[in-house]
Amino acid sequence: MNIVYFVMTISSLILITAIAPESAFSIMLGGTKTAIELAIILVSIYAIWLSVLKIMEKIGANKLLYRMLRPVTKKLFKGESDMALQYISLNFSANLLGMGGAATPLGIKAMECMQDGTDKATDNMILFMVINSTSIQLLPATIIGMRAAAGSQSASDIILPSLVATTLSTLIGVILAKVFAKPNKPQSLPLRSLDE
Amino acid sequence: MSKYIIPVFIILIVVVGFCKKVNVFDCFVDGAKESITLVLSIFPFVCAILIAVELFSLSGLNIYFSKIFAPLLRLVGIPEELCELLVIRPLSGNGSVAMLENIYNTYGVDSYISRCASVIVGASETVFYIATVYFSTTKVKKLRYGLPISIFACYAGAIISCLLCRFM
Repeated sequence: MNIVYFVMTISSLILITAIAPESAFSIMLGGTKTAIELAIILVSIYAIWLSVLKIMEKIGANKLLYRMLRPVTKKLFKGESDMALQYISLNFSANLLGMGGAATPLGIKAMECMQDGTDKATDNMILFMVINSTSIQLLPATIIGMRAAAGSQSASDIILPSLVATTLSTLIGVILAKVFAKPNKPQSLPLRSLDE
Repeated sequence: MSKYIIPVFIILIVVVGFCKKVNVFDCFVDGAKESITLVLSIFPFVCAILIAVELFSLSGLNIYFSKIFAPLLRLVGIPEELCELLVIRPLSGNGSVAMLENIYNTYGVDSYISRCASVIVGASETVFYIATVYFSTTKVKKLRYGLPISIFACYAGAIISCLLCRFM
């Protein structure tokens, strides 16, 4: 991350300094300003979802989702605690339904449950990150809305290709993550768990 | 149909909660409190990432980047008009939505390019944002093989998207 970040910032900065040095600092300020605006939006979104999550935990709805997704999560994330698997299930459900705002706080909580105290991400944490990065949304509602707003004849045409593409990219990600995972762990599971 | 998912879901949870004698008001107070702490802890990461993204996209470096990758993209069947979108997609969610809107306006919303772009954006995520924010409250500093795999899987998804748009 550090290397990617360094290369990206410094090469952009050098380029800006070469073309328009006076705008360099204001562009950086623009970035922080966007971050503050985003933070305010995120506080509002998370306030609602974390409240709903609190109620869900009290009525046991999280356990219900956990039990429903357990066959998949238990095989994918070997050796994780029930708590971690609960947050993983909730994160997956929110992602599947396209509630991105709800998925992020759940994902953060899941990561907290999975960490082993070192500064290296565990194999399971990476797998979780990969699944989240490749999107598992069933219905790209925002995009369909944008297409309809732009006057498309058939705004929902993209549902099927999106679903296939996102499923395949997640599969590729999961298989790769399992291949790269530490070899000392049992390795017969990836393909079997994906069949389900 | 999809616009009902969120409100109906929230109504369901709140009503069931109330019937099961959960203190709904307290839950919302706690949720709001927790949300501030959470955002405070992820803010530094978001801020750092957004400075880099802003620099990258406004310096014009993303256009150079796209030009370098254009031949490679053509090779795997992605229209070169989508280069810039592909470069910005893993970095910024808002950036890619803005670019998608732009593509709709330039090429027409029902064109092959626009459909490809829609599927690419719909079937991927903001990888760098996830990589930073999800780990922000843990001690983890080294993502090991996580980032390359995530990026690879996303771009594989983009290739598949363009392929599917040809006959779907």
